[in-house]
Amino acid sequence: MKKISDKYAFIWPLAGCLVLWIAITMVSGKFSMDMLFSAAKLCSFALLLALGQMVVVTSGDGAIDLSQVYILTLTAYVSCTVMNVNILLGLTVAILVGALCGFVNGLINIYLKVPAMITTLATGYIIFTIVLVAAPSMKALPAASFVKFINLRIGGLSMLTVLCILVAVLLGILMYMTPYGKQLHGVGQKRLAAHYAGISVNRVVITAFILGGALCGLSGALCGAFNGGAFQDMGSTYFLPSVAAAFVGGTAAGGGKSNVAGVCFGALMMSFLSTFLNAANLSPGTQKLIQGAILVLILVASVKNDSVKK
Amino acid sequence: MKKKENQAPYLELIEIDKFFGITKALQKISLQLYAGEVIGLVGPNGAGKSTMMKVITGVLPPTAGAIKVDGKVMEKYTTKEAKETGIACAYQDLSLCTNLSVYENFAILNVDHGLISKPGWRNKAKQETRDLLERYFPGNHIDIMKTVEHLSLAERQIVEICKTLMADNLKILILDEPTSALSTDKAEQLHQVVHELSEKGVAIIYISHKLDEIRKVADRIVMMRNGQNCGECDPDVISTEELVGMLGGEGKKTRNTEKEKVHTGNRVIDIQNHSSHGLYNINMHVDRGEIVGISGLVGSGQTDLLNIIYDARKRTGQEKDGVKVDATVSYVSGDRAKEGVFHLWDISDNTLISNLKNVTTGLFLDKKKSQELSQTWYDKLKFKAEGIHSPIMSLSGGNQQKALIARGIASGADLIILNDPTAGVDIETKQEIYGLLYEAKAQGKAVLIYSTEDSEIEICDRAYIMHEGEITEELAGENITVSNIVKASFKNVKHDTTVREEKQSLARRILSSRLLLPVATMLIIIAVNGYMNPRIISYMGFRMLVSSAVPLVFAALGQMFIVVAGDIDMGNGYSIALVNVLVAIILTGNPLVGLVSLLVFIAAYMGMGALIHLRNIPSIVVTLGAQFVWQGIALVIAPSPGGSCPEWLSAFYKIKFPVIPMPIVLCVAGGVVCWYILFRAKYGMILRGIGNNPIAVERSGWSYLTAKMTDYALSGLMVVLAGTFYTAVCLSADANASASFCMLSIATVILGGCEMSGGIVTPIGVVCGVIAMSFITTLLNTFQVDSNYQTAVTGLILIAVLAIRLVTNRKEGRKS
Repeated sequence: MKKISDKYAFIWPLAGCLVLWIAITMVSGKFSMDMLFSAAKLCSFALLLALGQMVVVTSGDGAIDLSQVYILTLTAYVSCTVMNVNILLGLTVAILVGALCGFVNGLINIYLKVPAMITTLATGYIIFTIVLVAAPSMKALPAASFVKFINLRIGGLSMLTVLCILVAVLLGILMYMTPYGKQLHGVGQKRLAAHYAGISVNRVVITAFILGGALCGLSGALCGAFNGGAFQDMGSTYFLPSVAAAFVGGTAAGGGKSNVAGVCFGALMMSFLSTFLNAANLSPGTQKLIQGAILVLILVASVKNDSVKK
Repeated sequence: MKKKENQAPYLELIEIDKFFGITKALQKISLQLYAGEVIGLVGPNGAGKSTMMKVITGVLPPTAGAIKVDGKVMEKYTTKEAKETGIACAYQDLSLCTNLSVYENFAILNVDHGLISKPGWRNKAKQETRDLLERYFPGNHIDIMKTVEHLSLAERQIVEICKTLMADNLKILILDEPTSALSTDKAEQLHQVVHELSEKGVAIIYISHKLDEIRKVADRIVMMRNGQNCGECDPDVISTEELVGMLGGEGKKTRNTEKEKVHTGNRVIDIQNHSSHGLYNINMHVDRGEIVGISGLVGSGQTDLLNIIYDARKRTGQEKDGVKVDATVSYVSGDRAKEGVFHLWDISDNTLISNLKNVTTGLFLDKKKSQELSQTWYDKLKFKAEGIHSPIMSLSGGNQQKALIARGIASGADLIILNDPTAGVDIETKQEIYGLLYEAKAQGKAVLIYSTEDSEIEICDRAYIMHEGEITEELAGENITVSNIVKASFKNVKHDTTVREEKQSLARRILSSRLLLPVATMLIIIAVNGYMNPRIISYMGFRMLVSSAVPLVFAALGQMFIVVAGDIDMGNGYSIALVNVLVAIILTGNPLVGLVSLLVFIAAYMGMGALIHLRNIPSIVVTLGAQFVWQGIALVIAPSPGGSCPEWLSAFYKIKFPVIPMPIVLCVAGGVVCWYILFRAKYGMILRGIGNNPIAVERSGWSYLTAKMTDYALSGLMVVLAGTFYTAVCLSADANASASFCMLSIATVILGGCEMSGGIVTPIGVVCGVIAMSFITTLLNTFQVDSNYQTAVTGLILIAVLAIRLVTNRKEGRKS
């Protein structure tokens, strides 16, 4: 079932990565593996968001999480604050806060029957307000030892990349090798059919939101440390690349189909793209223009028509 | 009417082949169709009946062979030519727009496609619809002003059939399982219609699995198997049993041999004096080792009853509202497309999904176990497919149903509920399905089956017959016969049924109106504002406050035109900024270039709509990407804020309109014009229809692409107006200033009463929603609420609005 079509899905972003890598090499006139490593490092945060987005979108019914970037900002503050007490505790609390946000999204979506897009739009507003109101009383600077940890390098690979690969592998196992993954993909195709097949749809969907939120939390903790602190607008940069990565990577917008590897390459590709635009020395306006145009083109080329629901 | 001798066929299929890849759906199919003849088309599922109909209606081009109309070979044969030939088809899956009223569904089909229609076309359409329904189905009591979503399934089917009959030059009518949801009396009426049409010279292809029915209506029976012709016969000569034999099914098994009692006496369902929505005083029980049937006229509450039992499975053994279910339960639905198959999966996954426990080792799914188990079921059910990994959608309906039944039984549940499991399934498969049920019964499982086919209930040990939500009769053993079932189906019920016929009162209509919430919110918020600060309630006060809301009104109306198509525009925040830049920098400098740039912008929106449609990409992603294009262009033109508002524009915006302040005039005008476009203009009906059921509208001869592009063009126009008025408010250009319009426009569209799923929009509500939203901001300022909290308030309002709508919808008792 998923053999040909799913393997097919990550070829697009992978090819995109290679093309851009070559383009960067040509523009900058020098080739280096460091280019790959740094692109991989820089895409970490968008990648984690994109994986979270993928899980949520896969639950179907047009589900999407627009509150992700706000969760990221909130958890960046939270992690910075708590990590000053204990690093592991800080990381855990950040992930838990993210999961809690996802849980709330899921509850509103399921029990108040508010469409996911609207739910997360609204909770996004609320979370952002929490950030605005609480930020002055929270610590914005990360714990030094955690910063040191994420900046470790393992044979050229950044610790961030290692963490991302670890998360991706675990998520891949969950999505494709466990009953939950199977149920999630079923629920995503048709919730009513899933209900009659004896799957507790509500539990599966809420769990998807929690997972998505937790990934945002992890991303927030890492992002806060990497950027040397949390700031109110930090999430917005990752919105476009993460959403783009999720869909370019082969997540069906209608739900029921996901591709962990595709999404990872999608995030890497978006990272290459911005590196390329920076290297080409273009004005911010032109950069945005090209970024948007390329994104639309990639989507036109890569999103398969079967994603549409009947 | 039988064909006369020497009559030339009106339509002729000559050795038609239709291949999908290696699958040969049709091979050398030939068919002659004579004017006035009723052909009964029968054949097992997967025989190629539907494919053949699609060839006849021009939906699918044949791989080889020729189509002759009136003796002439057609070089080109598409839906257009088929329509011109006079071919109309009542589809098995209903092709109505549920958000449009009954008469609008008719109007879509026969209103002229010109841009402007004569006034009064609506009244004409209403009258025509009324006449048509009354003519073919006298005493149908269908309210033509009702939206289709509020009709019962049988009513919808009647509307569907009548819609097909409306084609002006009707020459060939195709009825595909037309009586599947109709009660006996309505089916009789339909047979009368078929008879009348045939007298008038219309040829009819009548497809049905109900062989008795076919024998009654058809002049000639045509049989198909495996995509080939397999004979014809005269319905007056052949008996149903012979027909079954010719189609390759075994005749009905004698019931007595199968009806050994395997009672273990263990009760799994026990319902006592249960009444709930649509059900009255239900008393029933089901034991292990028996097959219990539910029957009665379609729509008598059978599905509600099954759902109540299915939902009670979560409280195993506990009684609630008189319902007690003491078993694990699985559910097999006959509505495969909506409630059954997982379309992205293969047979294996579709079979195993309810039974993951048995194929799991530790925490993980076990490939080997899955393979073995699904192979077992695959072999047992004799699927017609390439293997367990064939995609489910490549199977015929009957084979898909087999997978669902396998799922239900493989789940190992003690109680199997089947909701019309053999709808559209051929006889051979039916027999196999009955076999499986007998087997489940022999294993001591309980089976509860609801069927719309009365004769099917004969396989049961006991049966409950329902009418109007009540069980009117319990039949057992030998007493389960079609005639007894029919008798019980029409038995008088004890509860008072007059209540349900009650007309909607005015008060209720207002309460359930989508406009109530936005209008009430607006009035309340304005009132509170006025109470806090009486100076607001004045010409100047309104002018000042509404002035800043005007851009958002048009942004929201623009969003609404995209929402009506079921899409969403995530990029309008930046597209408004782009218009702002175009107006303040280019239009101010050179009006002509400015105007052209704005027109190009609208064309770009249209192109975006075309792209979304043609490539079938989710709008949310495309508009997100486009957002960066808009922003990029705006930044290139205006790297830093600047420019100025054209003088004529600020002069226009500052006009002192008598009595009503100018901004209010603009808001009202925007709302009314959009309302007119969507609800009064002919093409607005198409735009709404497309958002609900594009296939239906396309089948009626309208272009989906054109409609989508129109939606986006109108949205682009609204964005231009929003950007222009934004310039008039801000008096300069800033490529980054209006980003918040995106979220706010979505929020207000929702508050205004639109449905994100498309088709349902309320322009007036949207305008009220925007005004309410902007007055909330004023109110918060009056209360000196920290501006940080204002975004949160917007969020909370959004959730509250939708939660309120959920509650009111529930009260209305609408089935979704």
